[in-house]
Amino acid sequence: MSDSDSGTNPNRRDFIKIAGVASAAAGGAGLGMFGYAAGQDPASYLGWQNQEGASLIFERKHYEVDVPTYEKIGPTSRPDARVENIFDRRGSFMRQLRSGGEFEEPLKSYYEKHPEDLELDRLSAEEIIPKRMADEAEYGDRFFLSQAWSDAMGAVGPDPIDSPPEENDFPRDRRGTPIEPVKLKGPEMTARLIKKLAMQFGSTLVGITELNPDWVYAYPLRRRGFENPDEPLEVPEHWKYAIVVGTPMSWDPMYANPNYGTSNDAYSRSRIIATRLEAFIKALGYPARTHIPGNSYDLMVPPIAIDAGLGQQGRHGVLITPELGSNFRPAVVTTNIPMKTDRPIDIGVEDFCKHCKICAEVCPSGSITMEGKVEVRGYRRYAIDTAKCLNFWMSNLGNMGCRLCVSACPYTRKANWLHKSAVRITAADPTGLSDRALTGLQKSFYPGPDPEDYYIPSLGGDNASYREPPWWLRTEDFIDLG
Amino acid sequence: MRAMQIFNSGFFWFIEGILCVVMILGLRAFMRERGIPMPAWKWVVFGVWVLFAGFTIAFVGTSLGEGEPTAATRGGLLFGLIAVIGGAGAWRALVSGRDPGERAQVTDS
Repeated sequence: MSDSDSGTNPNRRDFIKIAGVASAAAGGAGLGMFGYAAGQDPASYLGWQNQEGASLIFERKHYEVDVPTYEKIGPTSRPDARVENIFDRRGSFMRQLRSGGEFEEPLKSYYEKHPEDLELDRLSAEEIIPKRMADEAEYGDRFFLSQAWSDAMGAVGPDPIDSPPEENDFPRDRRGTPIEPVKLKGPEMTARLIKKLAMQFGSTLVGITELNPDWVYAYPLRRRGFENPDEPLEVPEHWKYAIVVGTPMSWDPMYANPNYGTSNDAYSRSRIIATRLEAFIKALGYPARTHIPGNSYDLMVPPIAIDAGLGQQGRHGVLITPELGSNFRPAVVTTNIPMKTDRPIDIGVEDFCKHCKICAEVCPSGSITMEGKVEVRGYRRYAIDTAKCLNFWMSNLGNMGCRLCVSACPYTRKANWLHKSAVRITAADPTGLSDRALTGLQKSFYPGPDPEDYYIPSLGGDNASYREPPWWLRTEDFIDLG
Repeated sequence: MRAMQIFNSGFFWFIEGILCVVMILGLRAFMRERGIPMPAWKWVVFGVWVLFAGFTIAFVGTSLGEGEPTAATRGGLLFGLIAVIGGAGAWRALVSGRDPGERAQVTDS
């Protein structure tokens, strides 16, 4: 409509007023579209974009501290992997159960001290696994695609180490002659090079620390090539430094835990990164040894990642990083190549986890404590009932594992403006007020199924997922299930 | 999906900045016409409200984009209510100090 048609001729001020209102409306609509685009932005799927270190979006320098945020309160001891690593213990339990007779050492002494764990280990073998197998026949089809995807992701990856440090770690040429180490131009330059290479190999985060021997197993895991796993593991001198690398699990399936997500995708990539890094360091003439997921370690990884400045330990026992939250599957390379180390950080996780407790509320098996910290081998930490945790894993349809505590952790959010701002606010706020406010909003805005719903039907649940699976894992949309 | 990426670009924020300036000019014209003075504190009140309202809209959009409709609904209701109540309060503050006699003296500039 023209001015002459309408019979009006708005003056300049009226025009500006109308333009102002129109701009407000357009600006508001634009912000809505910005938000929608940010919520779907492929760049927010951190860790899957490039090899240039673009995932290091958090400025750690402001949050560096002199000592790690875990608390040492007494004489420390190293963990016995044969009984304290739940996978190794459960493996021994199943083998010895099948062979009949009495349990052998060290299992026998462990069960005498921890009869509740014997009960839980028995429960798994005698009740949970048979029920899972029965339910699998009835309900398992739904997870066919996610299992196929998980198998495919796990199909690629180097074999775990199967020889002891003195054989595996030292570089040799094809004739078996030891390789002389190259002369390096200083620890700072070497650390820079190693970090760049780790990123180049696909690592999302990388940190370097001197290895604290407390984190090395007192007795090794059986599959690590030690001739006699019942002999104590002496920490080799050349395990001076630990380089921590790793990647997140694919974000959308991870939110659809416990049954659609998988650890295999991140495990596979972390294994490849660590193995390439080991090869690179050996090519420089220095010894190196990988400690990689699923369960091929001579040490515990989360505290090493804390020492290396990648994050802090949460109530659920998992490392929480500012970039990826709990969605980080690390691997470690031990070496003696001289490097400048990183400093630990304090981004406020200790205080946040004290109030939050969402992981403990979500956990179907009740493995995560609602109480305060306890002493474990001379350090204060939240207690995790690993036997209960593994029993839920074993009961679960779809992909092996659970990972619900990872999905529900408020830090585990994609890298968009909203969630990254929240992390920065909690990290910078010394009062704790923002922790409480954000926890309240998290519980109100992001509810999930009731914990018992995650169980299989024969254990009283309905195979619930924390979030709906992504379209490409919905078996019923692609395969005729008959 | 690709077309949506324009909203994550620098160009989008350039346009958003222009719209913001026009909005400020419109408010200034409106206030002048009614003879309402606009000291600095009123612009701060206006700015805070615009930021909060913008946050609310962006929060709803982001939550929908992430596939979190519950967060979008509950956040929209909570923050939207605060924005409406805050907006009413902010408006009363903005139009305070009105001098009816001043209207005739104000000219376009």
